[in-house]
Amino acid sequence: MTSETDPDEQLVGELRAFFAEVDPVPPLVIELATASLGWRRLDAELAELLSDSALEEESVALARSSGAAVRAVTFGSGELTIDLEVHSDDHGRTLLGQLSPPVATTIEVQTATDAPASAEAQADRLGRFRVRLPSGGPIRLRVLGEGGSSRPPVETSWITV
Amino acid sequence: MERFAGLVWATVRAHRLAPADAADVAQTTWLRLVESLDRINEPDRLGAWLATTARRECLRHIRLQGRVVSTGDNAVFEAPSEERAEQRLLTRERNVALRRALGRISERCQELLRVLAAPEPPSYEEIAAALDMPIGAIGPTRARCVEQLRRTPEVAGLEIG
Repeated sequence: MTSETDPDEQLVGELRAFFAEVDPVPPLVIELATASLGWRRLDAELAELLSDSALEEESVALARSSGAAVRAVTFGSGELTIDLEVHSDDHGRTLLGQLSPPVATTIEVQTATDAPASAEAQADRLGRFRVRLPSGGPIRLRVLGEGGSSRPPVETSWITV
Repeated sequence: MERFAGLVWATVRAHRLAPADAADVAQTTWLRLVESLDRINEPDRLGAWLATTARRECLRHIRLQGRVVSTGDNAVFEAPSEERAEQRLLTRERNVALRRALGRISERCQELLRVLAAPEPPSYEEIAAALDMPIGAIGPTRARCVEQLRRTPEVAGLEIG
């Protein structure tokens, strides 16, 4: 396609050297790229992202309260639905969740950097839970099987909050 | 993996995300890959898949940021390194010249050249995926953008290419 003597390719080569110096791929990004391939959990069922108010035009949820931003996210696997409200403020994020059907169980919040679990919450018998995170970033929830039950844990796909 | 990390990083930075946001989005892109490994059955198209995913995650992030967060640091060519390191780099003639020259050309060209200048040259298919352009448009656009850059007084002065 191009050769080294191609003047266009020479200038692009200069740009490549320029960006390699002033905007290199951060080592952490390379590290996480490699590490993420090792994080695949085969013991859990995946709950996929079904809806995200951040992606919807003219979302009512975001404009609901004055000042504070609320984002509504829904995940679903075969039998479990997880509704999540993400409240953002300057000091972190608050997640308010609802498991349907309701089940009293433990929910772990995993962040990309603090694997395996960086926060934990207990859902009450109505399936409600609340988690406070000190900062935003990519997270996923892991909903553990009920004590003694044989149901495998359910993990949501990752979202950035 | 490093080649792909470079492609994802260039794609994200071409979308003008600030370094911290760019790192989050790059990370989310890897997490999507982890979730989707089962469904990717053309390994030779992995780069294009990652570039597409990175672009979508950028748009999602920009949309979310526009509504919720209010940080205004979108400088695309700002180095994520410390100021002192950047100062040192800035003194280098080529970097100063290219930085200025890039500021003079169209935004679309800045984006294309940022992706083209990924650490390892991306394929046209990967560039098309990163920027949502038809593959057939990349050759001519690349030629036009390189020409724009070459005509800037800074690059003309460097006598590159």
